[in-house]
Amino acid sequence: MRSRFFTQQFGLALCAAALVMLSGCATHPPGPANPADPLEASNRAVFEFNDGLDRAVFKPAAQAYAFVVPQPIRTCINNIFLNAGEVWSWFNSTLQGRQVDALNTFGRFLFNSTMGLGGCLDVASQTGAERIPNDFGVTLGVWGLDSGPYVVLPIIGSATLRDGAGRVVDLYVNQVGYGSLIHNVDVRNSIYGFEVIERREALLGVTNTIDRTALDRYSFIRDAYLKRRKAQVDGAMAEAEKLPSYEDFGAEPADAQALGLTPKK
Amino acid sequence: MKSRIHLLFKLLLLCLLLGLTHTARAQGKPNPNAAPNEFVQQVADQVLTALKADSGVRAGNAARVNQLVDDLILPNIDFEKTTRLAAGRNWRQATPEQQAALVKAFRGTLARAYSGAFTRVDEATTIKVLPFRGDAEATDVVVKSQVTQRANTQPIGLDYRLEKTPQGWKIYDLNVENIWLIENYRNQFSQQISQSGIDGLIQALNQRAQQ
Repeated sequence: MRSRFFTQQFGLALCAAALVMLSGCATHPPGPANPADPLEASNRAVFEFNDGLDRAVFKPAAQAYAFVVPQPIRTCINNIFLNAGEVWSWFNSTLQGRQVDALNTFGRFLFNSTMGLGGCLDVASQTGAERIPNDFGVTLGVWGLDSGPYVVLPIIGSATLRDGAGRVVDLYVNQVGYGSLIHNVDVRNSIYGFEVIERREALLGVTNTIDRTALDRYSFIRDAYLKRRKAQVDGAMAEAEKLPSYEDFGAEPADAQALGLTPKK
Repeated sequence: MKSRIHLLFKLLLLCLLLGLTHTARAQGKPNPNAAPNEFVQQVADQVLTALKADSGVRAGNAARVNQLVDDLILPNIDFEKTTRLAAGRNWRQATPEQQAALVKAFRGTLARAYSGAFTRVDEATTIKVLPFRGDAEATDVVVKSQVTQRANTQPIGLDYRLEKTPQGWKIYDLNVENIWLIENYRNQFSQQISQSGIDGLIQALNQRAQQ
């Protein structure tokens, strides 16, 4: 009894200490509480940590990359990574019941992989078939999962509970899926590292604008992220509802029959 | 026979009208009384032409950027409305002087956002305004466009919200990739106001300008 009381007290004290430490790290005084962001104090701490890491490592690396490599080559490499991600986007569109989008994405992948020289040239966009980004977080949203609270993850950055989980699946499928095709560990890890720098470089314009215009970068990024994700899920749901699905009463339920669930006539 | 002449006449009239709109567009001065999508295309074309001709603006020369924003962009924007809506309920608590100072300070923020976007414009940059899908009689409309920054890249979705005023269409809100400018700044403003009041907000906006 006594020991349980002590464990409880100790746990509470630990939580309180952690909270004080975390809120102490946050330099910006939090504004009016946002109901979507109950973890604001600790999120701000992780945000500051990520920001420091970005300033020290990722941003300079991305800037150096942009300085050394000419724009057309950077665009080509960015397109190759985006093209490789289309397979997973296609699969997610399929899971969300967006057959037309799925077909378009798959067509883009085939066209750009061949005529576009492995994705370097986005020839599909030039014919009017633009990229339809999709990921597992959107799929979970379409399946009815609420986004949950906003969380800032170390290194990865903005997420919600749902989208963070989706992100882990996205990363696993893309990194491990493609990674399994590359057997040399050094080569594989170099490509992972390079991809991080490449992704950061593609975002330099956006982050520079945010640095220049936001009053509080934390809440600016949070609000923009939540709005964009909501629009993506809403858009995906509207897209899935575009085509009416008909119940075909004339056709025999072939699967059920094969399983022996319905008596044969 | 009669109907044929009638048809010919109609065709001729159509050609004439098309020719007229074409010359109006070639002159490059936006017509705020045109259809909203045409007006936006004219504004966009005019700004892009100016940008492509001026390497100083693209390099981020602050004076040149301000000049271009003043000459070509602000006349087509109801920026007081943009600021008013971003301030929300706090607008009424501000004195007319504070309101004017806030509009001016926020305009500086807008210019900085533009100057960042301008540095990424090159010869291949295009803005394609999509056909207007809304109600032709509406006075508050959304026009969608696609900006392609460089060759061989994906276009970015950029939407404009316009209001019909006695002087014709005026843009008052922008949407970049599903994020509305006013909506995102509402929270920025209220957060700053709750911390340090309207004067604090004006000061914070102006401070960002000096960084």
